[in-house]
Amino acid sequence: MKKFAVAAILVLSAVVLLKAQEGAPSGAARGQGGRLGTRNSAQKEAEGAAAERGSTIFKENCAACHGENLTGGRGPDLIRSSLVRHDKNGDLIGPVVTGGRADKGMPAFPFTQAQVADLIAFIQSELALFDLHTRFSPYPNDIPASRLATGSVEAGKAYFYGPGGCSGCHSPTGDLAGVANKYNPPDLEVRFLYPSGTPSTAIVTLPSGEKFEGTLLLNDGFNVAIQGKDGWYHSWPRRTVKIEVHDPLAAHEALLQKYTDADMHNIFTYLETLK
Amino acid sequence: MKRLLPIFAVLLVVAACLPGQELDPSQILKPPTSDWPTFNGDYTGRRYSPLTQISKDNVRSLTLAWAFQTHSQGLQSMPLEVNGILYISGGNQIWAVDARTGREIWHFVRPGFPPGGGNKGVAMWKNRLYMNTFDAQLLCVDAQTGKMLWQIQIADPALKAFGTVAPLVVGNHLIEGTSGDTADLPGFLESINPVDGKIEWRWDSMPKQSDPAWNTWPHDTDVITRGGGMTWLTGTYDPALNLLYWGTGNPHPVENGYTRVGANLYTCSIVALNPDTGKLVWYFQSSPHDTHDWDTVMTPVLFDGTFKGKPRKMLAQANKNGMFFVLDRTNGQALLSEPFVPANWFSGFNKRGEPIPAKDKEPQPDGVLVTGGVGTNWQAPSFDPQTGLFYVNSRETMGVFYLTMPGKNAEGWAGRDFFLGSKSMLKAIDYQTGKTRWEHTANGRGGQSGILTTAGHLLFTADDAQNLVALDPSSGEVLWHMYPGGGLGTGPMTYELDNRQYVVFPVDGVVYGFALPETPSRSSRNLGQ
Repeated sequence: MKKFAVAAILVLSAVVLLKAQEGAPSGAARGQGGRLGTRNSAQKEAEGAAAERGSTIFKENCAACHGENLTGGRGPDLIRSSLVRHDKNGDLIGPVVTGGRADKGMPAFPFTQAQVADLIAFIQSELALFDLHTRFSPYPNDIPASRLATGSVEAGKAYFYGPGGCSGCHSPTGDLAGVANKYNPPDLEVRFLYPSGTPSTAIVTLPSGEKFEGTLLLNDGFNVAIQGKDGWYHSWPRRTVKIEVHDPLAAHEALLQKYTDADMHNIFTYLETLK
Repeated sequence: MKRLLPIFAVLLVVAACLPGQELDPSQILKPPTSDWPTFNGDYTGRRYSPLTQISKDNVRSLTLAWAFQTHSQGLQSMPLEVNGILYISGGNQIWAVDARTGREIWHFVRPGFPPGGGNKGVAMWKNRLYMNTFDAQLLCVDAQTGKMLWQIQIADPALKAFGTVAPLVVGNHLIEGTSGDTADLPGFLESINPVDGKIEWRWDSMPKQSDPAWNTWPHDTDVITRGGGMTWLTGTYDPALNLLYWGTGNPHPVENGYTRVGANLYTCSIVALNPDTGKLVWYFQSSPHDTHDWDTVMTPVLFDGTFKGKPRKMLAQANKNGMFFVLDRTNGQALLSEPFVPANWFSGFNKRGEPIPAKDKEPQPDGVLVTGGVGTNWQAPSFDPQTGLFYVNSRETMGVFYLTMPGKNAEGWAGRDFFLGSKSMLKAIDYQTGKTRWEHTANGRGGQSGILTTAGHLLFTADDAQNLVALDPSSGEVLWHMYPGGGLGTGPMTYELDNRQYVVFPVDGVVYGFALPETPSRSSRNLGQ
């Protein structure tokens, strides 16, 4: 929602993010009892086991009212429950579970303290997974190639050698050899669409006729700066020099405006064969 | 008449003395000159100053008057200036600074909380300042001493609600919005009593069952209770019509529309509310059934003028979805709907002038290519009544949208988007046609700063290579520029004190005050004494 609020979300979700980067299993999804943790593996295993046991208790006793995925049904949504969210080691959830809420039709469950702890471990692990559903959680490793490769290899190849003009600069046996192994699927797609970060180069001509060539660092209308082929940084007031810019991404930029969604799927499906 | 004069004189003296350094809420009704008393300077959101001392003819000699080092980072807040004091905020902190010299008066750090992070600015009412926090509290701070008077909980941070918006003072009410879309919360707007923090009314972004808008949601699920429609940027106000204008954020779950078939009112809408009661008077939905995260919080800018030969009270908005809208602000009727950047996510307009989303551009598991989005963001646009042009820092992007949580059980962020190959430019839009009159770029990829225009025939902003610039608002010609060592996270503001006009730019952690050079005669006279 709010790109500007990256910082806000990062602060709020820092713990979740760290955990996720370290421990999120590939393909982790709600309901698999996936356990996220930053502590040592023995602790992790113990917590995972507790959550697993809690999952069973939940399914047998709670899911009928609170939903398989905890988002509610006859009973309230636990994922968005203020009480659940403010719980610390069972101080709030425990009494509700063991005491019930007669006024709201929830029976008391005579669980042992250990069973309540397992249940809470499960609920907490589900909350942690839910909270990964943010714009800012780790890059989606869980987008498999099969989901993106919905096009035709032949059509993609035809586009590569034909209207795309890709083969003018790239070769499946040269720079693109094994490219599908190098990047995870969404990375591969985003990179073939527009490989951001590839800098422009420029030839700068001084009034004396002397020429400098290198990577373009700044060309804001006021100043020109390059990293020269001599390895040194150079800058000039824009008005004092002539500049010729070469953008290696110009062809990608032009193609971006032409691609249909089908073109994108076909090219991806073709590139995915380059393993 | 003669008899009345002394009474007037007495009244004037009383008016001048009574408030001290305080802010009388009626001061916000005036065009901003010696003060910049609210987020946008005044209620219109035009961010247009009538000041003329710094002008097109002399701006080349603009020079640094002072710099205030906050030792903080990434300021996003719009400073206020009231009676010679600047109030600048960051997450959990506020600085009071001498607006003439840049010297610190006090520094408030919220007890028990680490300072830092984003905040969009404070509001001022009489001798009090109000600021939102990451844990969704509203703080009230004494403007004279920098001491906290009280704090109240606005929403539940355990449910991922937070606050960065600068509240808006309307008379003796504090209008307060909220943020957060991780745990699928419904948004709201509240009127809060500035004395004791009591809630006076609450408007919910999700309609009640008695409202026909309730039918724009499915009811075989409880998705309407999770809604969205966050109110995370300061709105505007028309005192003559007594209407408050505010934008609302995207619906939840984000980027998955299957679980919420329908237009999903009042998300992605501009709403007009009665500020005394919180009752909705009209709405305009800029992105019906949004599946691209096109929040509509961008400033609803108010101005009067002619449209197709007819005098109109208008509201204009450059939207995150790449559309420029002009509405009749008395009734919400659309006068103009026109993309200001290429946009393929819509297939046309409905009879209310609202875009119709293109079915084939909703996010899909294997991705769709979408243009139009993040055409602009929350950073302030400006309307200059002298040129009749609306200015916005825009971006032309190609986005790839993936539906990562298909199906009806999606929650929170159910998709991902990547924006590729963006071009940034400042655009001057003719509100009569929606066409761009001129544009300016520095070949960069930034272009996310706010804008200020002044009666000195000037437009101040930062370009997409982070240079602070002054442009001729009628042509886009660059008249002055300076690289300040970082990005302008918010927009510029201006005020005049002791016959000297200052233009203020918060850049990263430093607040710069620019002015014309002091005349040598003043300096030498001082030396001579």
